[in-house]
This record gives sequence, structure tokens and C-alpha cells, in this order.
Amino acid sequence: MESCHQTRNPFSDTETAAVGVTIEHLSKNFGALVVLKDVSLSVEPGEIFVLMGPSGSGKSVLLKHIVGLELPTSGQVLVGGLDAAAPETRARIRMALVFQAGALFNSLSVYDNLALYPREHRIANEAGIREKVMRALQILSLENTAAKFPSELSGGMRKRVAIARALVQEPQLMLYDEPTSELDPVMSATISEIIATLKDEYHVTSFVVTHDRDLALNIGGRVGILMGGQLVMVAKPAALHNPEDPIIADFLNPKIDLKNPRFKQLET
Amino acid sequence: MKQLIAILEGIGNAVKLLVRAACFAPTLPRQLPRFMEQCYLIGYTTLPIVAILSFFIGGVLALQAGYSMESFGAKEFIGSLVGLSMARELGPLMVAILLAGRVGSAITAELASMKVYQEVDALVTMNIAPERILVLPRLAAVLVMMPVLAIIANLVGWFGGAIVAHSVDFIALEPEKYFETLRRYTKFEDVANGLIKAETFGFVVVLVCCSIGLRTRGGPREIGASVTKAVVVSLILILVLDYFLTKALL
Amino acid sequence: MTTTQNTARVGLFFLLGIALIWVSYETLSDGKALKSRGYNLVAGFDNLKELKQGDDVRLAGVKIGSVQATRLAGRRAEAVLRIDPAVKIAGDAQATIGSAGLLGTNYVAINLGSASVPPLAPGAEIRTIASVDLNTIMIQLGELGGKLEGALGSMSEVLKGKDGQPSLFQRLDTLLTENSQKVNTTMINLQEITDKVNRGEGTLGKFINDPRLHDELLATVGDLRKAASDAKSVVSNAQTLIEQVKSGKGTLGALIYDEKTGNDIRTATSNLKEVSDKLAKGEGTLGKLINDDSLFREAQSTLRKADRALDGMGDSGPITAVGAVAGALF
Repeated sequence: MESCHQTRNPFSDTETAAVGVTIEHLSKNFGALVVLKDVSLSVEPGEIFVLMGPSGSGKSVLLKHIVGLELPTSGQVLVGGLDAAAPETRARIRMALVFQAGALFNSLSVYDNLALYPREHRIANEAGIREKVMRALQILSLENTAAKFPSELSGGMRKRVAIARALVQEPQLMLYDEPTSELDPVMSATISEIIATLKDEYHVTSFVVTHDRDLALNIGGRVGILMGGQLVMVAKPAALHNPEDPIIADFLNPKIDLKNPRFKQLET
Repeated sequence: MKQLIAILEGIGNAVKLLVRAACFAPTLPRQLPRFMEQCYLIGYTTLPIVAILSFFIGGVLALQAGYSMESFGAKEFIGSLVGLSMARELGPLMVAILLAGRVGSAITAELASMKVYQEVDALVTMNIAPERILVLPRLAAVLVMMPVLAIIANLVGWFGGAIVAHSVDFIALEPEKYFETLRRYTKFEDVANGLIKAETFGFVVVLVCCSIGLRTRGGPREIGASVTKAVVVSLILILVLDYFLTKALL
Repeated sequence: MTTTQNTARVGLFFLLGIALIWVSYETLSDGKALKSRGYNLVAGFDNLKELKQGDDVRLAGVKIGSVQATRLAGRRAEAVLRIDPAVKIAGDAQATIGSAGLLGTNYVAINLGSASVPPLAPGAEIRTIASVDLNTIMIQLGELGGKLEGALGSMSEVLKGKDGQPSLFQRLDTLLTENSQKVNTTMINLQEITDKVNRGEGTLGKFINDPRLHDELLATVGDLRKAASDAKSVVSNAQTLIEQVKSGKGTLGALIYDEKTGNDIRTATSNLKEVSDKLAKGEGTLGKLINDDSLFREAQSTLRKADRALDGMGDSGPITAVGAVAGALF
């Protein structure tokens, strides 16, 4: 609550201090199910860190730990030096999470979805909010959708609205959960460009969870690979072109072999 | 044992929710539009069904009373019977039950779907407490709207009783007579009593429905399950509370 | 449907609710709603009975206010009456607590008083009359009955005998057997006397055979009937009577409450006992019994007193029946 007075606007001249993320020996169990096993990594302020991994490897759970929606079983997540599990952290550091399905407020129009955050935190008056919201919509070419409701939008548009909504929060840390899934290749590329641009222009720390190889290889500062709840590799994108580990290589460059399909390999 | 723990957990969650929402009470003036919207949904849109139901409840009361009192010549007392039972018991109870069915279920469905589709998570990451913008306006709205609904239910029920008592052949009680006994035996304390009841019921229903809605986990199926649970729990709570409130307010 | 419209509706709806609550407050608790208007009078009673806050105050049957409060003030109960400012109540008007029907609520009834007396000022105390209550009368009648029963009981003890002692009749029986000879003689004498009486000889004979006496008796019965038919004043008469009886006025009152009369009765009773005891001891004969002057005088005075008692009851309405019965038994 107190944070609303400290908030600075990335669209204005004031500079936003990007924050780093440090994850120390993070483990998470859901009952008997081990989701994350002793994960340690750190993301530098202003960096784009891309986390890849097969479905169900625990990427989204890791993301939720960073924003404090999940609490660690053991270990610690620090955002800008503060414990992510503590509710005050969200008041001190502005984080925005772009949910995989968008998580737009269905009862509100696109405009109101974007305006909710500045309104609730009283960042500006209604005119200032309008300016901010329209700028964010413009960046994502969504000007025409302002009056529409989320149910009237396509999947790709919803994702862009979600990013726009995150932008309006003027975050110090942007987290993306599968930003390019369910999108056509051109839109995927657009989203990738947006993520990179935001990083360059506003010096935002970005943490991207994705399956998208192109995104990872093109805009990622570093790429981590999470498999079975363990971080198996952290490297520069260049190192991913020819990974030594065959499993990682297969994950990054799967060959579609009709003569010897994978589901049949498993049987033998 | 497991069920007992589940019940205690439910109570604990509701209390926690109430405390957290109460902490945000000073922000209510800023949420005036949201509060107004909830008032509209909880109060205004519930009015027609409340009016219809209480009219017929009053009418049926008069009819039954007329049928059973006519045999010993006490039919003038229909007014007092309808007046007292509507004001003290049936008015608040009916409004609360309608609220649970009509508004409570809608609240749970909305909050449960917000929870399931991660809208609540999105609010949390935006550092906007769901209790503040989702729970507080509803609780405040129900507190403001419940007495209004209850008094309308009372008056409509009284008039329903009067119309039925007048128009049914074997009762044929003059409205003047009806309202004279009603006035003689129904004091404003009885009405105030009923309003307190209605207020409590409404508040508990909305709190329970919010709490159950926000605790939903899973998918669309769980939304449905939550709604059912919220309505059932609300109804049970209304009747249990009714007993204790009646005892306390006698 | 815009937000503004909805807000307006909510506002309207809320105002409607407030208005309805106010209306029901006004109609249901009119006593309190009139708080700002009217003036108060205080009425003190021994017993407020079922009177409670909000009950009507009626002047000559017309509602002019309500009971604002009931309270205890020392040794009496007070009702604070809220009176319509347009109504003036005469200074000598009296208030009672009436009840509307057997099950109905009570109300304060005020009579008009006299027009010449200046009206009561706000806050003044109004004169009251203890109201007639069926219950009280019943209770008092019950008490009276209990006392009569007690008096009769002691008489019958003497007649029936107590604690194994022979009764008066047994003793008389013994006496008669022992003195049968003398009694026989007496009986013959008596026979003679009755013959004379039958023939109309002597005063007693005239008294019994004179037809005028019959007519007088009939007239007396007629009077009694007339008294009994005066049923309208039953309750008040009974009330007065009981009050008089209580304060020792009237013959029945004297009989029951007056110590002197009580002593007389007790003396008479003890004399009777003495006689009976003497008879048992064989003292004297029937002739001695009759000739004993003192005993004769005692009996005479007792009879005179009873006579007076009967006279006193003549004007007491239906209670005469009770009185007559009691007199006859004495």
C-alpha cells in the first residue's frame, strides 16, 4: 500500500531501478510430489533470463515463487534482496507477471483491465491514467480493443493485453509465463521483439518461461533449462546450438522421425 | 475428524477474510463505484423476488391463521400474527434465504472463477488485495442493503396478509381491523429485532460465499462445487444463527 | 444501463428503505413518536396491574394519549401519561386503570371531572381511584367465607363433642333418660300449653295463628327479592360491603372483626360448653337448668345480638342471603 507513493513511471523521465533475482536452494513439494529440487540461480538486474524446460518440469511453479504466490518448502527466493515470500516485498518492489492464459479480469473492459493498477494505487489522475493506458495499448497495437471485453478477444490479443497490463504497472521485474504459446509465428516474433525492446528501453529485468526456442535464442541474455524440477544447465544462447547432453539436445532440437516415432521407442 | 478439521478451517478462513477485509475498511470511500455496483446487484436486483415472495408469505400466513383461528373467533388477531411473524422471523429469514440463493451463489461463482482463472493471482501480483476490492465492497453493500430489503419484505408481507385476509370469503377481515391489531401487538422493537437478524444473516451469507469462492482450487467443475457448497453452508448457517439470535434477542 | 443510472437507483432504493423504516417506526411506536408534542401527567396507583408502556390513555373513552413509562416511586407505582396538547384535563378528574376485554390490554381511563375546576398543568399529578378488579373482590369474598367457616367450626365442635368427650346431644340424652319421670310431667304440661296455643289462647297462640303474620313474611320475602334484583350495583355494593366489613362497620363486620362481639360469641360458646359439662356431671336437673337465671340471661342476650345482626343485614342487597344464612346458623 505504501508503495503507491514511491512508484515511478517508466513512461516518464524518471528512471526505474531494475532488480535482480536470487534463488537459493529452492525446493518445493506438493504433498509427496517433488516439483522443484534444490534450484539455485541468479538473474542480474536488467537481464533477460529465459527458463526453458519440458511441460511439467516446474517452470511455472518457480515463477510463482518469485512473485510470492507459492511459498518454498525449503530454500529462499530473494527479489532485489528481499524475501519474495513476504507480502511486503510486493509493496516494495513492483513486479508484473504475464500469466499464460492472460488472467484478464473478465468483468472489466480492456481499458479498465489496464487502468485497474494505476487507479487502485492512485498513481495518477484519470487523465494521466488514460495517457498511460493508451500508450501501453499503442505499444502492443491494441488501440482498437480498449472498449472490448476479454471474452471478445482472440488468444493472441489477450496475451498482448496481458503484457500491456503488466507494462502499465511500470515494473522493475517482468515475469512472463509462456508469452508466445498459442500464437502464430509472426505474433510470436512480435512478442519477442516487445520483450527485448522493453528491456532495452526501460531497463527492466525480464524472466521468461517459455518453450519457444526462437525467443530464447534471439533475445535471451542467458538461458536456463529446468528438467524434472532440477536446473540442468544455464548458458548463453550460443551454447545452446550444439549442447553436449543428448537429452538437452533432443529437447532443443527435436527431430521428427516418422520411421521411428518417439512413442514407439518408449515401448521397446 | 477430518470433517471437523475442515469445518474449523472454513470458519478460520472466513474470520481471517473478515479481519483482512475490515483492515481495508478505510479504503471504502475510494471504492464508491464498486460499492454502488454491489449495492445495485445485492439490493436493487433482489427486490422483485423479495417483494413477490414476502407478499405470498404474508398472504399464506393470513390464510392459515384465518383458517385455524376462525373456529374460535379470534380472527381479528390475524393482523398481530402476520405482523409479528413477518417482522420477527419470516421477513429476515426469507430475505436471507433469497440472498443466499440469488446473490450468494453469484458471488461464489464469480470469485471462484476469478480464482480458477488466476485473476485473483493477478490481483495479488499487482499488490491489490483481493479482500479489498472483491470482499469489502460486497460486505459493505450487504450491510447497507439488507435492512432495506428486510423492511420492504416486512411491509409487503403485511399488506399481502391484509389483502388476503380481506378478500378471502371465510375470513373477510376489514383491513382497518387487521392493521389495528397489527399495530397493537407489533412494536417497532420487533421490527428492529428483525432488521438486526437480517443484517447478521446477510453479512454472514456474503462472508461465507466470498470465503468459499476465494478458496476454490481446480477447474470449472470446482466452481460448481463451490457454489453448491456456499449455498448449502449459507442456508445451514442462517437457520442455526436464527435460533441463537432469536434466543438472544427475545 | 450506465453506472450513473445504477447509482441513482441504488440511492433511490436506499432512501426508500430509510423512509419505510421511518414510517414503520412512526406507526408502530406512536407513543414515542409523539415525544416532542404533548405534556406529561403523573398518576400514582397501588397497583398498575397489566398496564405497560404504550397503552392508551382515554378521556371519557376517547383516546387522548398513551402511557409513556411505568415506574416504582417509593411505596406506590406511577404511570407517566403523555397527553395530547390540545386536551385539557380538569383538576378534579380521576384516573383509573380499565381493561379492554378479559384478555385485552389495560388502559388508563380518565373521567371528565367538573368544568369549573382549572385544568391540570403539565407534570402535575392526577387524582386516581383504585380500580375495581374482579379478582380482588373474589379474593375478599373468599377470605370472608374462610372466617365464617372458622366461626361455624367452633360452634359445631361444641355440638358434636371434641376429643372423645360426649356431645351436647348425648349429654342431653343421658339427662332425659335419668329424669324421664320429670320430663314426662313436663311433656304433659307442654301438651296442655300447645293445646291452648292451638285454640288461640294466650299471646303465643295468637302470634302463631294470626294470618297477618303470614302476609308480613311474604312482604319481607318480596323486599329481599327486590334487593337481589338490584344486580347492576352488585360489584360496587359488594366492594363497599367488604370494605365496611373490613373496617368493622355493620353487624356482620362487627360479628367477624369486632373484638367485643367475638368475645360475646366466645362467651356464649363457653357457656354452652359449661352447661353441657354440668349436665354430664349430673349437676342439677332440667328444672334447675331452666330456672337458672344467669344462664337464661346469657342466652337471651345472645339471641338479641343475633337479632340485631339480622336487622343490620336488611339493606345489604344480595349479600343478605349470606347474612341470613349466617344468622340462621348462629
